[in-house]
Amino acid sequence: MDHQFNSPDGPVDVTVAKQGDDWILGEHKAVLERDGRIRIHLANGVSGYATVAKVDDNWWVHFQGHTFNLERIEPGATQGGNDGGLTAPMPGKVLDVLVEEGQSVESGQTLMVLEAMKMEHRILASATGTITDVYFSAGDQVQQGSVLLAMTEEED
Amino acid sequence: MVSKVLVANRGEIACRILRACSEAGLESVAIYAENDATSLFVELADESVMLHGDTIAETYLDQNQILMIAGETGADAIHPGFGFLSERADFARAVTAAGIQWVGPSANAIEKMGDKMTARITMRDAGVPVIPGEEIESTDEEEALIAIQQASTRVGYPLLLKASSGGGGKGMRAVEHPEELLDAARSARREALAAFGDGRVYLERLLTGSKHVEIQVLADRHGRTIHLGERECSVQRRHQKVFEEAPCATMTEEIRAAMGKAAVAAAMAVNYEGAGTVEFLLAPNGEFFFLEMNTRIQVEHPVTELVTGVDIVREQLRIAAGEPMSCGELNIRGHAIEVRLYAEDASNNFLPAIGPLAVFIPPEGPGIRLDTGVRQGDEVTPNYDPMLAKLIVWAPSREEALQRMRRSLEEFVVLGTTTNLRFLRELCDVPDVIEGTTDTTMIDRLWPDGWSPSVPVHIEDAAFMAAAVGESAGLHRLRSTPSSRSDDPSGPTSPFATLNRRYP
Repeated sequence: MDHQFNSPDGPVDVTVAKQGDDWILGEHKAVLERDGRIRIHLANGVSGYATVAKVDDNWWVHFQGHTFNLERIEPGATQGGNDGGLTAPMPGKVLDVLVEEGQSVESGQTLMVLEAMKMEHRILASATGTITDVYFSAGDQVQQGSVLLAMTEEED
Repeated sequence: MVSKVLVANRGEIACRILRACSEAGLESVAIYAENDATSLFVELADESVMLHGDTIAETYLDQNQILMIAGETGADAIHPGFGFLSERADFARAVTAAGIQWVGPSANAIEKMGDKMTARITMRDAGVPVIPGEEIESTDEEEALIAIQQASTRVGYPLLLKASSGGGGKGMRAVEHPEELLDAARSARREALAAFGDGRVYLERLLTGSKHVEIQVLADRHGRTIHLGERECSVQRRHQKVFEEAPCATMTEEIRAAMGKAAVAAAMAVNYEGAGTVEFLLAPNGEFFFLEMNTRIQVEHPVTELVTGVDIVREQLRIAAGEPMSCGELNIRGHAIEVRLYAEDASNNFLPAIGPLAVFIPPEGPGIRLDTGVRQGDEVTPNYDPMLAKLIVWAPSREEALQRMRRSLEEFVVLGTTTNLRFLRELCDVPDVIEGTTDTTMIDRLWPDGWSPSVPVHIEDAAFMAAAVGESAGLHRLRSTPSSRSDDPSGPTSPFATLNRRYP
């Protein structure tokens, strides 16, 4: 069966086939255990139990001390690209907005200050350019991934 | 006499204290904010009372409300844990005035040690060297900033800005150059104000290459003040400890004796009662400097418990009840290491993470202790500190303790929320950690551009395969995960769903 997952290096296609009780991927083999874990035998002789859980579209996998969070790309879904906006890295509250629309900013300049779990985080300009939109003001709650500001980068 | 303890805290430390109460045969009361209603600590208490209010200030920091609950439930002691109200002298005083036993030192001792300036003077008088530093008393923003600038020229660079009533790295900023000072001071003051309701800061010279070593002290009302040896907590990121151990790998009998003596002197100077910690910076040449005294139980207390055999929380309860402490002479046995499990993305600047704990399977076996505030099925929210649990191991030697920690961290399964588990595991392979030559700047030095995991290709292959098999086999439909739980249809009530017992 064909599946596609997102990885930091781009989408990864994974095709597994079933032969009797075994799942096959090239030279690798896997068996579904009664407790829901997956016993994996890799071609290089390494074997172990993987613990998996699906949360929303993401498969979380623990294998030999490593934990993975693999987003499954649903068949037919289109990938939303990054529109160049600056997004909230975690849910929290806007403490301070240091720029306004139309303002020119330097790369590395602090644009906004967020607070989550009683710690402050600064949103910095990734490039030199001009702020075109400010979507939140001090005191607003933001969700992870919320687009906070938009800017155009200066062309050199 | 103490018979019923109200625990004015939440999470992992509330669980630790509530279990100690249960073991000591004491009744317990938990207080909780609405968003903590299903948290583990609430279920560990004999009684629990919900706090009204939305913010931390309106709940876990609301002294009047907590005192009222203590009165209504008939609690005769309050244990503050760490953080929140644990180092608030005014609360200790109010508790005592209400005729309730405060599990901790007197308000006077908290005030003296909590005020970093007074603490330094007290230590200097006791003959303990202190780091050059100054406190800024002014609460007015503009005045404080001017005073900070003036003090910085006397303290010297690099320097550290700390919240006067702080802890846990909140309101703390390292400043390398004078031109960074004002920005750092503003943000430190703001963070301190939000976390502790007190924006005052304190400047101190930043000593690089030093170890953070602290001495655990215990004092009872029967004239006994002792120390339980040291803990080393040098491995820190953003001034937040992540890896703690006892004893300190480079400790000598002489330094331990000198530090222990200084710590006991500090405690006695303020008529200390209960458990406390005196923190020092230990320079490579064996010189040590007083940092501060924490007048409460500390996050890393379990490593001391494992190497000394002393149950520190139980001793706190015993001392608060007016009994003599039960522990004998100091006897350090083996080695203990603690790591803090944080819901955070270590590969993205350690930003806090949230999500469901879809799977939470801690390691098991000899020499392993887990102090947790969460269990499988819980939701990690942005409302509180991201520390989920502490994993502590004990073994006869430091080398074996590290081996056990590696094994434990590899067995630990947490799915659904990003944690620092892999970061902690890789920390165990860092040469400085293996050699015991860690200092407080190690993480920044090792990973100046941030940490990212090194994952062997075949392990990644296995992960993709497991996910593909999981999807193909429909594993997510077979098992109920927190996100799919709500669509369980509740069927008609069965007439047989009753419990009937017939007694002879």
